[in-house]
Amino acid sequence: MSSIALMIIAFAAVLLVALLSLAFMFFTSEKQVVLRVSTTTSLYATGLLDRLAEEFSKEHPNIVVQFIAVGSGEALRKAELGDVDLVLVHAPSLEREYLEKGVIYGGRIFAYNYFVIVGPKSDPANIAKLDPVEAMKKIYEAGEKGYAKFVSRGDNSGTHIRELMLWRKAGLNPKGKPWYIEIGSDMSQTLMVANEHSAYTLSDIGTYLKFSSRLTELKVLVNKGDILVNIYSAYLVRKSRNEKFAKMFINFIVSNKGQEIISSYGKEEFGRPLFYPAKSANVEELKQMWNELARG
Amino acid sequence: MEGLYQEVLAITLRTLWISSTATILAISWSIPLSLILTSFKNKISIFIQDFFNALISLPTVVLGLALYLTLSKSGPLGFLGLLYTPLAISIGQSILITPILVSMITSGFQKLRDEVWETAITLGASEFQASIALLREGTLLLIRAILAGFNRALGELGVALIVGGNIKGFTRVLTTTIALELTKGNFELAIYLGLILLTLSTTITIAIRSLGIRGAYR
Repeated sequence: MSSIALMIIAFAAVLLVALLSLAFMFFTSEKQVVLRVSTTTSLYATGLLDRLAEEFSKEHPNIVVQFIAVGSGEALRKAELGDVDLVLVHAPSLEREYLEKGVIYGGRIFAYNYFVIVGPKSDPANIAKLDPVEAMKKIYEAGEKGYAKFVSRGDNSGTHIRELMLWRKAGLNPKGKPWYIEIGSDMSQTLMVANEHSAYTLSDIGTYLKFSSRLTELKVLVNKGDILVNIYSAYLVRKSRNEKFAKMFINFIVSNKGQEIISSYGKEEFGRPLFYPAKSANVEELKQMWNELARG
Repeated sequence: MEGLYQEVLAITLRTLWISSTATILAISWSIPLSLILTSFKNKISIFIQDFFNALISLPTVVLGLALYLTLSKSGPLGFLGLLYTPLAISIGQSILITPILVSMITSGFQKLRDEVWETAITLGASEFQASIALLREGTLLLIRAILAGFNRALGELGVALIVGGNIKGFTRVLTTTIALELTKGNFELAIYLGLILLTLSTTITIAIRSLGIRGAYR
């Protein structure tokens, strides 16, 4: 008898959970708009986006902004599948591809910073202060001679795509070389591996600064050159049904208030901002650079 | 610090809630299925049992990916709008732990059948009455299987990350938080969260062990 009672209770519990969940979903969809944003890990991990969303919610309490942090490649793929309303990415050549496919539109550049080539303090390939493309050539040479290594993201992220572009500009293909380590992980992992192997790698400045206290073997060797500009853009997604609200969020991050948050973010912790707001530069110039990079 | 404490507490409670839901869902179909598998003694039921045994080691990322493509807006079940919700994680985890539950319960029931079922039938009980007797005798066994399933659901990462999306305050659970904090470079926080997870699962494992020992001496 008690077993039957137990079974009835279990069944009732299942029903209750299902009903509660449905009710919860109904409730949230009635009262609030959920805005799904797929974004690059390097941007999310700094905490900037949560800060922006917090301020945005103060102005629009009925909109809930949810971030899904993945690589730029995956972020755009999710837009193609129609699972997100907005993308924040930094891979111009990929962005162009998806713009042409008609998956995303209405792009706005909202921030930028720089990629840096970091490497062992002893700098065996002698690349310090060189032009980025020249530096890649030197790393290749040193790698072939066996006294330098390079760690690649290998994950189709914005940073990985930029690294491949640098190799292409240098006219070299390191794929399959024993000194070229492809790890397929996020930026922080890549930096840690580079640190362990005393290897060179390409990093966005934000992630490098966040981790610099742990990266005892590494230092920034190359940080100048237009080809190292890291441009973050926001796009609307064609398949989204929340277009109106997605537009509101993009307008917020390019507004004076949003740009102010971007320009001051990280100053306290790192003594310098992690990102520069697009407003602080000549937007036309940034667009031109974007076009240059999008061509690959 | 206050805010951090509250967030960790919220994440822990959310993790327990999502995995409990998953376990309840899994139980609701695993017990009837196990009863059916135990009632028949032919090649098909043996094959099904082997199939579930093989699925125990199903990689969570494979299941997560399959579920993602199913629940995506472009997928066959996209219209449900379940992707990136806690319920999606629960469903994924319930599928993940079903093989564990079915295997443990079925093999336990089969052992019981040879002692309890045969005796009950010999004593003139109907098949339904015998089933009830099995359930009663198997309560301990069930609790053990349920805890094992719950434990697996609690510690998995792939499903929660892929179909949950690790959304702050919504689908962020212990394992996905650990992965994120690692990315952020907050190793200390990641370790604390790992300790919470370890404490939860160790407690459960000890509970399973002690129930197992009690069961053996019954």
